[in-house]
Amino acid sequence: MATDARNAVELKGVSFRRGERFIFNNVDIAIPRGKVTGIMGPSGCGKTTLLRLIGAQLRAESGEIWVDGSNLPSLARTELFDLRKRMGVLFQSGALFTDLSVFENVAFPLRVHTQLPDDMIRDIVLLKLQAVGLRGAIDLMPDELSGGMKRRVALARAIALDPQILLYDEPFVGQDPIAMGVLVRLIRLLNDALGITSIVVSHDLAETASIADYIYVVGDSQVLGHGTPDELMASDNPRIKQFMQGSPDGPVPFHFPANKLADDLLGGVRG
Amino acid sequence: MAKATTVLDRIALLGRAGLDVLAAMGRSVVFLFLAIAGRASFGNRLQLLMQQLYSVGVLSLAIIVVSGVFIGMVLALQGYSILSDYGSEQAVGQMVALTLLRELGPVVTALLFAGRAGSALTAEIGNMKSTEQLSSLEMIGVDPLKYVIAPRLWAGFISMPLLACIFSVVGIWGGSMVAVEWLGVFEGSFWSNMQNSVDFYDDVLNGVIKSVVFAVVVTWIAVFQGYDCEPTSEGISRATTRTVVHASLAVLGLDFILTALMFGDY
Amino acid sequence: MKTRTLEISVGLFLLAGVLALVLLALRVSGLTVASTQDTYRVYAYFDNISGLAARAKVTMAGVTIGKVVAIDLDRDSYMGRVAMDIQGEVNNLPLDSTASILTAGLLGEKYIGISVGGDEELIADGDTIRDTQSALVLEELIGKFLLNSVNKDE
Repeated sequence: MATDARNAVELKGVSFRRGERFIFNNVDIAIPRGKVTGIMGPSGCGKTTLLRLIGAQLRAESGEIWVDGSNLPSLARTELFDLRKRMGVLFQSGALFTDLSVFENVAFPLRVHTQLPDDMIRDIVLLKLQAVGLRGAIDLMPDELSGGMKRRVALARAIALDPQILLYDEPFVGQDPIAMGVLVRLIRLLNDALGITSIVVSHDLAETASIADYIYVVGDSQVLGHGTPDELMASDNPRIKQFMQGSPDGPVPFHFPANKLADDLLGGVRG
Repeated sequence: MAKATTVLDRIALLGRAGLDVLAAMGRSVVFLFLAIAGRASFGNRLQLLMQQLYSVGVLSLAIIVVSGVFIGMVLALQGYSILSDYGSEQAVGQMVALTLLRELGPVVTALLFAGRAGSALTAEIGNMKSTEQLSSLEMIGVDPLKYVIAPRLWAGFISMPLLACIFSVVGIWGGSMVAVEWLGVFEGSFWSNMQNSVDFYDDVLNGVIKSVVFAVVVTWIAVFQGYDCEPTSEGISRATTRTVVHASLAVLGLDFILTALMFGDY
Repeated sequence: MKTRTLEISVGLFLLAGVLALVLLALRVSGLTVASTQDTYRVYAYFDNISGLAARAKVTMAGVTIGKVVAIDLDRDSYMGRVAMDIQGEVNNLPLDSTASILTAGLLGEKYIGISVGGDEELIADGDTIRDTQSALVLEELIGKFLLNSVNKDE
């Protein structure tokens, strides 16, 4: 074993590039089993890319990505699909299948991966929907649900197969305070009740800090720092400080890199 | 000096565009191969295919039938006015049938199909991509190429030749209506002239073969554009436009090549 | 119930498509189930086949009894060799029958008409019709006519 068994997911020296630009440059991240780990950072720093790397929807340029004891880059396509059955993902938009009802959406992973009889599938779906508090919405279609309800149905679908790892992609974006509170509670509850490893990718500081056991702050294609929420709050690293306190200017500049303003105004002609 | 760099820039731009096109073609070939080859693991494939046959085939039926009738009627009218100059009005059946079977049936069906079903396929798949439904399938452990793409491809492959046959039949029926009922061409000579000149293998089957080729190309383009599009609303609308334009051009270009191969030797 | 109507409509669509193909085959191209029955091959040599094409029909007394399958040039005699398939049931053509290239109407397609001879021996598979009449070539006809009228004037 090249990886620590206490970690559900481990990235070792991972680099990923989009065109010429490094999204990640030699990044190491270890995500402990059974905990809620937050991955935070300013918008556009590649948090969603990180999730896609862990879900093997993107291939890293170099480095190893260990998920539940297997190294993703070395897996064949079929082994990958097997591994994904042990992972659940809650996408930003919920990603419910629009042509299926709520019931069929939650039942989908069960129908595809198990040979369970119909009445048993129905029982499991009811239990999962009960867990997210939407048992009453079982016969609705996705377009009849509000944004928060969609995300909760998607969560029920993500836990249908009792995964060991749950990935949340920006779960708090665009939610009203009530829906947000419900989700925060659900994530914590599911994590503790089912013993799942949860990875929450988000830039909503307060919510993430309130549920995460451990937080990684990424930015500039690097891991800027990691620790428990309290440790990070107390950090004297200026970049982490800026992010945690939300100041507009600091090591992460307010201005996008450019020539001097005076040069641009006076020059007009370039090189 | 400045001029030289701009010329070189232009050439570089051309080269880059060429490379992009080549890369897209390569991706689309891999895409087609992965979607069609191999077996899918889930059990309800027939149900999925049925669903797609409905939205791709049955829903295209109305436009195909209506266009077919009108095109057949117009062909009969035009053919009659030209042929009557030579006193050979009875050949109008032959003209309508051959035109429909060899050319208009497969080609017009493919063009209508690209506009009706192709654009819908692209938009639907693009939408599934932008709402992360495809990623979500992948993460559930279901290959979207097998679950979403393959049934749509097969539905297109099956539907279009059938639609082309229906198009030709209603077209010939429309032509016979105009020629026989309205213009007074003798019914017996209308049909016998047609039957004498239309050969099952050379005309009917070649038309079906054309239509199968068009089916593969149009469906492939439509589905690939949806799958490969930029997952934003502008990206989807651009991809939908590209589907209709590329598919129509491909059909017309291929039609010339196929016609030259099939009917060019005499 | 919803899937059932869907299945029925798809079934009807497939049925309509296949039916259309069958209609095209039987009604439009006049393909009969029995048309692939046995035929026999007959050859004929013409001085000039002008405009006759493969798939042209072969008739006798106006009734179609076969079709032209191939046309090529015979290298030894410099004549056009026409191969035709005659329906098996028309197996009583005398050996000295005449094959002529005719035109349907003034500008119509060319076809082959066979007129019966009086020989007792019958044409069999692979035989050659010796008595042939080439197509009328309009230009030659006009040329001859002009020449004649010039000669008369002198």
